[in-house]
Amino acid sequence: MATESESSRSATRRYSPTYWVENMTDEQFAYFMLLPAFALVGAFALWPLWETFQMSLHADNLTGSGYVGEFVGIENYVAILTGEMTALLGAPFFDLDQPLQSALSVTLIYTAISVTLELIVGFGMALILDKEFYGRRWVRVAILVPWAVPIAIQGMIFYLIFLPSVGFGTQAMHAIGLFSDTPFINSADLLIMVIIADVWKTSAFIALIVLAGLQSIDRELYRVGRVAGASAWQRFRYITFPLVVPTLLVALLFRTIQSMRIFGIIRTIGGSGGCSTLPSLSCLVVTTFQGSGRYATAAALAFITAVVVAIVAGIYIVGFADVEGGAI
Amino acid sequence: MATVTGDDGDGDGDDGNALERSARRAMERPWTVYRAAFTFGVVAFVLITLFPFYWLLVLALTPLTNVNNIDFEAFGLPLPVPVPQGFNPAAFVEVFRLVPFHRFMFNSIFIGLVTTAIVLVIASLAGYAFGRLEFRGRRVLMVLFLAISYFPPVTFAIPIFRYFTGGVHLFTIPGVTAVYSPNWFNTPGALITPFSALFMPLAIFILTTFYSQIPDGLEDAARIEGTTRIGALFRVIVPLSAPGVATAGVLTFISIYNEFFFSFLLTDGQAQSWAPIVWGILNYQGQYQQYYNLMAAASLIGVIPVAVLVVLAQEKIVSGLTSGGLKE
Amino acid sequence: MGDVTLDGITKRYDDVVAVDDVNIHIEDGEFVTLVGPSGCGKSTTLEIVAGLTNPSGGTVTIADRDVTRLPPKDRDISMVFQNIALFPHMNVRKNISFGLRLRDFDSEETERRVQRAAEILQLEGMLDRMPDELSGGQQQRVGIGRAIVREPEVFLMDEPLANLDAKLRVHMRTELQRLHDELETTILYVTHDQAEAMTMSDRIAVLNHGELQQFAPPLVCYNEPANEFVAGFIGSPSMNFLEGEMGGERVETPHFSVGVDPAAVDVGADGPVTVGIRPEDIYLRQTAATVEQPTDAVEATVDVLEPMGDEIFVYLLLGDAADDGGPTVEGADEASARSDQLLMSVEPDVRLESGERVEVVLDRDRVHLFDTGGDARAHGVAEGSEAPTEVNADGGEGR
Repeated sequence: MATESESSRSATRRYSPTYWVENMTDEQFAYFMLLPAFALVGAFALWPLWETFQMSLHADNLTGSGYVGEFVGIENYVAILTGEMTALLGAPFFDLDQPLQSALSVTLIYTAISVTLELIVGFGMALILDKEFYGRRWVRVAILVPWAVPIAIQGMIFYLIFLPSVGFGTQAMHAIGLFSDTPFINSADLLIMVIIADVWKTSAFIALIVLAGLQSIDRELYRVGRVAGASAWQRFRYITFPLVVPTLLVALLFRTIQSMRIFGIIRTIGGSGGCSTLPSLSCLVVTTFQGSGRYATAAALAFITAVVVAIVAGIYIVGFADVEGGAI
Repeated sequence: MATVTGDDGDGDGDDGNALERSARRAMERPWTVYRAAFTFGVVAFVLITLFPFYWLLVLALTPLTNVNNIDFEAFGLPLPVPVPQGFNPAAFVEVFRLVPFHRFMFNSIFIGLVTTAIVLVIASLAGYAFGRLEFRGRRVLMVLFLAISYFPPVTFAIPIFRYFTGGVHLFTIPGVTAVYSPNWFNTPGALITPFSALFMPLAIFILTTFYSQIPDGLEDAARIEGTTRIGALFRVIVPLSAPGVATAGVLTFISIYNEFFFSFLLTDGQAQSWAPIVWGILNYQGQYQQYYNLMAAASLIGVIPVAVLVVLAQEKIVSGLTSGGLKE
Repeated sequence: MGDVTLDGITKRYDDVVAVDDVNIHIEDGEFVTLVGPSGCGKSTTLEIVAGLTNPSGGTVTIADRDVTRLPPKDRDISMVFQNIALFPHMNVRKNISFGLRLRDFDSEETERRVQRAAEILQLEGMLDRMPDELSGGQQQRVGIGRAIVREPEVFLMDEPLANLDAKLRVHMRTELQRLHDELETTILYVTHDQAEAMTMSDRIAVLNHGELQQFAPPLVCYNEPANEFVAGFIGSPSMNFLEGEMGGERVETPHFSVGVDPAAVDVGADGPVTVGIRPEDIYLRQTAATVEQPTDAVEATVDVLEPMGDEIFVYLLLGDAADDGGPTVEGADEASARSDQLLMSVEPDVRLESGERVEVVLDRDRVHLFDTGGDARAHGVAEGSEAPTEVNADGGEGR
């Protein structure tokens, strides 16, 4: 049974890589298994983050051979936040006189409106999908397809709907007293288009998460509510809603973080001029480094974007803690 | 939402007997109104969601000469929806001739599949470590990975752009040579690598959940029977977690196929430079902007791969999207 | 050939010692059981032999090969698991042949071995079923089939019968013994059930708190337990223990005294001892004629009777304490509690009433003495009883 060859084979294995992998402790083996993921994430996420940060602390270099000039500390940040940089950027970072031309306000306004609308539409979808009915599977597919549409195509669809010479969208908007004759170079019009496009595409995401929350509610509670004499609205208000809120906040947090990255949809609906019509934070970063080669300023803008997102996310997390603590 | 009108009959009953009567009837037999409102809601959501695709179809089938006067009528009869003005299916062939749209799609699908494969393998190793092994720093590392997906793409983009346009000095082997970053701009590698890193966290998260649920005994049995630890992962744990692997794979692929920012930035937009579908669409918008029917046809074709995935794998997509929301 | 040696095996987790310097040598073809209460380190020990856990110290030798640092697959072992651990995504045939396929056996040989295993385990006709279509007993037979087709040097079995129902468990015991007789392969078996250990093993290794207590054939562990723990763990119901005091040639307990023979016991060391006596070695005085070396009569009161069918367990209260309403015993397992209680087993036809005064005698040849550290000092205190031998000379030193 114990063959000679088997024992000699294992003797040679003693020096093979398998041998030392097999002999690792659980902890060593865990780190070993994480190594490839770390290498990849380190090289293409952590290192770029660090590089971006480094760049943001240097001066722009528009004439020399390097990408950035000398070390200037937080000067870029100061210049951007105080508005000194405005003339050099394609659009101001923050200017209350023209909220739809300045990056911070465009991003925040867009995020606030689109996430609110998505919440309403998504919640409605979720309440519908929570019921058992014939064809539910296909309704779910129908609302999920837009979610899977590439951003470029999403942009193209709404470009074609609102293109005055072809689509009906602009006419329809005129009918209700909105939109100029040149909607693609009008900030407010473009903002509305972008919001409509985003609500169309991503409401399903909120719907699915809320739906999962709804379905995790113990159905027995509704029976209790009914027995206690609660109307359908009261059952929604006092049972459904409070129990879905935590899930809802998570969905909103994800959506908010994503919305604040807005770039692609502006670029496709608005075309190459989109970013100057409706300059979001990401737009500003791209135009700053691609258009004018100001890498350092672009890097500082990118980091400011991350910080803005962090602040907004932080507000959510504080709110979340309140909900967990039973404030609602 | 529909139930609100069903039960609160007092909200809008200020004019007319008929309304009053129907309100009373609604209170007596809430189910009828409820059902009607519900059905209306379902139909409305489905129509609104799918209408943009119908619009693309109308536009694509309408011959180019007629695209400027698409009407809401056919044979003199007014209709609630626009209808094609003529019938020109040739647009779906023409679309591949004017721009090599098939090549853009191939590029996208190729990049998507390769990245998904890389992500699944590397995330499986990491998911095994996070899901099945106890080690110091487990939580911290998990949070670190998840934090990657928080940062807006602009914070990674500039260094990665520089990196792949070549000439970033990485390190010097003393006395031998200096090592520079590879010039991968316009090759699939420039997209595959950052995508792998940035879409990895979601896959790790999903796989960790699934792998942690496989009983230890099965892994032990596999090792006793003759696999290595890594062999047990791929022969037993991964096959048993097939639904989870499929979920992670589908979500990763769709995310990459839909991605805009890096796809836009890291190629010069030529089909032969491995530009993905984003540029196929943008090319139409930029160079051939009078060919609205072809833009619509291209958009429809571009949606097909993900639409098929949604139909086939909707359960997986739903579970994957909601697992994140319900867990942390 | 298939002998297994554990030399100084130790396993430490952060601040806990799970296995403490265990030394065991198992002969080729032997059926050895590791037994002990849960948490005693028996499963960890088995995992170390399997290679699923690395020891902190010590070496494992299988078939004269130091396998301590080898992965499980290279140790020439197979294992049967408590939770059965069949691969749910493979049918019975694939499950059984998994290890063979990994080792690139040709398909003919694989099929031949699978058929043979199916024959031995009466699994013919089930080879194409999925595990979830089988009953618990069938699943465990597949698990055993997976272990035997590779024809390894050693079978490791981790409580393989624990998840089966009682009737099936007894049946599978005999099946395993039959299998062992047929295959003549070394088996290292883990269980917490001392009855299982007693009935199947050639030798049993009793573990407690990670330390080897005794390593000996079942009857030796039963008749000559190395220490108080083994004496209490092996045998059901447990041995009675009573505090006593050695003085001269007698051991005094609060309620009776036992004369000890200087030839059997080292009487030199006076002082506290623990007296141990199994329930079946206590007799009613009137039926004690067969006992050659009885003690003096001990007065007691019958407290609780537990008729088991083939015997009756009688809980006795010693001395005059019977009337003070002291706590009554709760079950056979509690009988080892040190008090004035004594558990006795009698023939089923004996008529006794609760509250009845009786006189009992102890078989002096079967009285065990343990010193304050718990180590056995004497097995039998009468003339002609033998002093304890080094029963675990095989390396286990039993403290």
